[in-house]
Amino acid sequence: MSDKSIRVATDVGGTFTDLVCFETDLTSGESVIITAKTDTTPPNFEQGVLNVLAKGNVDPATIDFLAHGTTVVINSLTERKGAKVGLITTLGFRDTLEIARGNRPDFFNLHYEKPEPFVPRYLRKELPGRMSYQGEEMTALDLSGLKEILDGFKQEKVEAVAICYLHSYANPDHELRTLAEVAKLWPEVAVVSSHQITREWREYERTSTTVLSAYVQPSAERYLQRLDAGLKAKGFKGSPYIMQSNCGVDSLESVSKIPITMVESGPASGFWGAAELGKQIGEANVLALDIGGTTAKCSLIENGQISIMTDYWIERDRTSAGYPIMVPVVDLVEIGNGGGSIAWVDDFKKLHVGPQSSGAVPGPAAYGKGGHEATSTDANLWLGRINKDYFCGGAISADMQAAKKSLAAIGEKLGVDVDEAARGIIRIANNNMVNALKLISLNRGFDPRDFTMVAFGGGGAMHAVALAQELGVKKVIIPAGAAVFSAWGMMMSDLRRDYFVTHLVDLIPSAAEEIEHVFATSENEAYERFEAEGVARSKVKFERYGKFRYQNQEHTTEVLLAQGEVTSDRLAEIEASFHDTYEREYTYRLDAPVEMVGIHLVASAEVGKLKMTETEAAGTSVKIALKSQREVDYALEGKHMADIYDGDLLESGMTFSGPAIVEDAGTTVVVHPGNQVKIDGYGNLHISF
Amino acid sequence: MTQSKYDPITLEIIQNSLQATADEMFAAMRKTAMSSIIYEVLDMGTGIMDGKGNLASSGAGIPAFIGVLDKAVAVLIKKFDQPGDIEPGDVFATNDPYYGGVTHLNDIIVAMPVFVGDKIIAWTANIAHNSDVGGMAPGSLSGDATEIFQEGLRLPAIKIISKGRPIQSVMDIITVNSRMPDVLKGDLWAAISSTRIGVKRLLELSAKYGVDTFEYAMVSFMDFGEKVSRTEMAHLPKGVFELSEEQDDGRIFNVKITITDDDFTVDLRDNPDQTNSPVNTSRDGVMVAAQMIFKSLTDPYSPCNEGSFRPINLLTREGSVFHAQEPAPIGFYYEIELRVYDLIWRCLAQVMPERLAAGHFASVCGTFIGGIHPDTGRQYTIIEPQIGGWGASISRDGNNAMFCGFHGETYNCPAEINEARNGLIVDRMELNMEAGGEGKYTGGRGIRMDYRLRGDDGFLTAGYTRSKIPAWPADGGAEGSSNYIEVIRTDGSAETYAFVSGLTTNKDDIIRVVTGNGGGFGDPKDRDPEAIRQDIRNGFISPERAKQVYGYVK
Repeated sequence: MSDKSIRVATDVGGTFTDLVCFETDLTSGESVIITAKTDTTPPNFEQGVLNVLAKGNVDPATIDFLAHGTTVVINSLTERKGAKVGLITTLGFRDTLEIARGNRPDFFNLHYEKPEPFVPRYLRKELPGRMSYQGEEMTALDLSGLKEILDGFKQEKVEAVAICYLHSYANPDHELRTLAEVAKLWPEVAVVSSHQITREWREYERTSTTVLSAYVQPSAERYLQRLDAGLKAKGFKGSPYIMQSNCGVDSLESVSKIPITMVESGPASGFWGAAELGKQIGEANVLALDIGGTTAKCSLIENGQISIMTDYWIERDRTSAGYPIMVPVVDLVEIGNGGGSIAWVDDFKKLHVGPQSSGAVPGPAAYGKGGHEATSTDANLWLGRINKDYFCGGAISADMQAAKKSLAAIGEKLGVDVDEAARGIIRIANNNMVNALKLISLNRGFDPRDFTMVAFGGGGAMHAVALAQELGVKKVIIPAGAAVFSAWGMMMSDLRRDYFVTHLVDLIPSAAEEIEHVFATSENEAYERFEAEGVARSKVKFERYGKFRYQNQEHTTEVLLAQGEVTSDRLAEIEASFHDTYEREYTYRLDAPVEMVGIHLVASAEVGKLKMTETEAAGTSVKIALKSQREVDYALEGKHMADIYDGDLLESGMTFSGPAIVEDAGTTVVVHPGNQVKIDGYGNLHISF
Repeated sequence: MTQSKYDPITLEIIQNSLQATADEMFAAMRKTAMSSIIYEVLDMGTGIMDGKGNLASSGAGIPAFIGVLDKAVAVLIKKFDQPGDIEPGDVFATNDPYYGGVTHLNDIIVAMPVFVGDKIIAWTANIAHNSDVGGMAPGSLSGDATEIFQEGLRLPAIKIISKGRPIQSVMDIITVNSRMPDVLKGDLWAAISSTRIGVKRLLELSAKYGVDTFEYAMVSFMDFGEKVSRTEMAHLPKGVFELSEEQDDGRIFNVKITITDDDFTVDLRDNPDQTNSPVNTSRDGVMVAAQMIFKSLTDPYSPCNEGSFRPINLLTREGSVFHAQEPAPIGFYYEIELRVYDLIWRCLAQVMPERLAAGHFASVCGTFIGGIHPDTGRQYTIIEPQIGGWGASISRDGNNAMFCGFHGETYNCPAEINEARNGLIVDRMELNMEAGGEGKYTGGRGIRMDYRLRGDDGFLTAGYTRSKIPAWPADGGAEGSSNYIEVIRTDGSAETYAFVSGLTTNKDDIIRVVTGNGGGFGDPKDRDPEAIRQDIRNGFISPERAKQVYGYVK
């Protein structure tokens, strides 16, 4: 087996467990891709993983690398299926979790309901002890009441303990001592303290993060242990790498301690894949777009760098303040617009698409499973963009009567015919997505003309060109295997940890030593953790970002620092790059003092990526891939007779022009009139306008 | 029903983009502002007006600023009415309620026209609370002011940027009049940059779809706003409703509301004369209060624009507290605006209990604390509204600890940031456990927050209403509790205030902010025993008091 490398990505979703396996011939460099899908098997999720491996005929004993993604953390949060948590916090602050920030996003609604805290008041306890914002002890920690608190928790059948003290980001000593005492008094309970997850300020956000981490900890820990044991029992010799929200993977052992970092791992791998793909084909600036069944997500990659932030919330929207989770999460914008998004007309004859989705059941009207409401998919089918005779890769026979009926109902309310209704749905859906794409690009001062759009997911390729042309991006890339692109991204991930540390200091030359110290401390911590897991120092790479602002401001601008120590003579250069970054984003700069609020350190180590080989153009005529022609309605550009290509038969070096449609089992690419398409050596489609 | 030459989907796309633009302006300003009252409290708003100054689209933020910007732009258009008065690249500012500023002098409105050729097709504008615009007291607000001249520098609808170039002398006058010139300058530029971003987006939109279509999209958007309001108005009870209510300061405020099929008339003519204390408001301010409650009653979710408010008919009397004339001081106008808002709410709650809950703490509880940061030696000023309890409704307990109806997507300041930025200690920040708000459904809890000062010679200014007369109950519930501020000196003595100006504070003094619990709804005897059991378990009420108030025995 040594002539082959077998790399596997498994993904446990709410409904299905997916497998993608790349079997690469090490001499020719060619990969065979195996995919399989089985039902998710709660509560014994590891069984689903073993099932899907069996279904795909992948022997765990032969796997060289296994990456694992899961939605169990986010699901256990949104379905409220986590542990009973007890909170220990600073005297005077037990209500922080319930007070939250006092905001009402839904401000004209006088019936707003504030989100219920995850820990009720009677399980929120206080201990005396106070640190200052500079990390100095103002009042000594008094642990004498701890035993009584824990006894109370036991009586109330608490399953996990969260600890969060004021200013622990600046000095974790009180949290460390409390942790140690809890371990002594109640060794079997799951426990986590805030500084283990985040070293940033804002007590409500940090408390919420700690509580939610404790909430998912027992079940996630159990899940990961069973997964590991199940794979080992079937002969897997390695240990799975777990996909994280920061686009990296982390060791199973490490994730078991702080499982909340998995919370948004689903979209992360696709965006990482887009960044890696960009590097491979020389496109450093990428607008990545992932359109799935219920939502569209997008993220901006500048200079090959994904952006990682820690202001993440669950269940936050225009009508709810949601719950903050301060962990490193890829910076993305998500909107309720996917293939299954339902089109509807309000009482004032205005057409909307989403955010309600038809889901897998009943699905779009054309599934013929009893769905009566028109979705984006129905509109795409009706307009000939999706092949009605090859719906879902031929797996479902499209119920065109049902699709027509659903669209006609929309048309009737709008006073237009079925075609016009379908076009309207596509245009509104596209407009929603363009606004989301603007949020991550134009609104932050980026010029779309400097960017290439990489579109994936079930619906990405269908809408990409229209969106790209509206935004004015350079070109569109549809990756080979766009439907399994996220799995590919997972296999390209590094072992990665993001350290965010709040440390307020004026950006003046005399501060250089202090700033260097903050970075060096985090770097040492990272080295130690990696080394403990058997990763050599020489393999660890760092990227240092500073978070800066003008004095008195609140929001910071993150600036990547050049490699090397921070010294006093380099501060002017650092300040200059802050002014530049700031001006690009906000149109002006100030002649005001600058301060550093904290650092963001990225520590990563390669764990062996999938190697891709480029195929030479064989010079085969594109005609062999041409299946047929059909009439396609391009909405704004009207109806055209389009060439239909079989995606599986397209080869390196082939070119053709639009109007055209490219179809394979998982993806439909809509190529608009006048577009030029070229297939690169990796099988990616490059569409230029 | 728009049967016109315009494609309805295109109009819809333009309207969505107007919303997106107003939101983008908001986000840009929030991120760049220097005053915490802007970036954290979000005491700001953004909007897009049509060429005539009608509000076409409003951004996120606080409800009380939604209906402000159009009034300012209308004054600008009237004042600069000669050819060449307004040119591309110009930026204007006003902060004076007697010149379209609506609120008080701290709030500077910045507005910029959108030109296509010679024609103004739209305006972008924003409003934000500036930390200090001069005047007799730090932070510019003082309960001792007797004339508007004492409340800061007045900008009577003026041009600050001409054809893209700042008018330096004007900028210099504005900054030199502030006790915090750098902050003011930073905030003003944040505002300018936000209007410029808006202009850029609107130009892109009109270039793409054509000026004609762009303008029609705004017109039809406002017509849509009107249609939404009128549709829901049909479901409101019709009639004449009246209420008189005593205020903390002994004044009696009266309202008469007439709802017909077509109009929502708020008559405030029968009210006291304006005073020489800063507790007056402009007529525009009262209009905003009426608009806020009207929007909540008709449709809280759909976009808010000029059309939404067309059914409102407001009657005021010049020279009264609700229609102040120059030079009446208006610093604490927002408390008066809130009193009107609450008055209309209470008046209508009697006849539409399913739409309106019992009263909430209903005060901004504006708190101003300043001094020298003991670690940095720099001056600090806290300017913050407080969070408090909301009233119980016909179907559930009120929310704990939220900003009042005047504010919305507003954030309180974390203790950790407060201690670092302002160099004081937050000893506690917890729910208010005082009695009040009991009922079948209970009012939400206010807060109790203790600031311990680390330095001498600081100051405290505050203006709280609903301090004597707490949040009102409904349907047999108990009234809430009151808003007040307490100063506990090192010798243990305590002073209680509702309105205080420039009080000197010293090291280790404790400033205790207490906000009220909301009003209860329904007879306490009808409260679900399980809910009472949870109240006791969570420490919201003692078993003894539960027995006394609810008749509950375990």
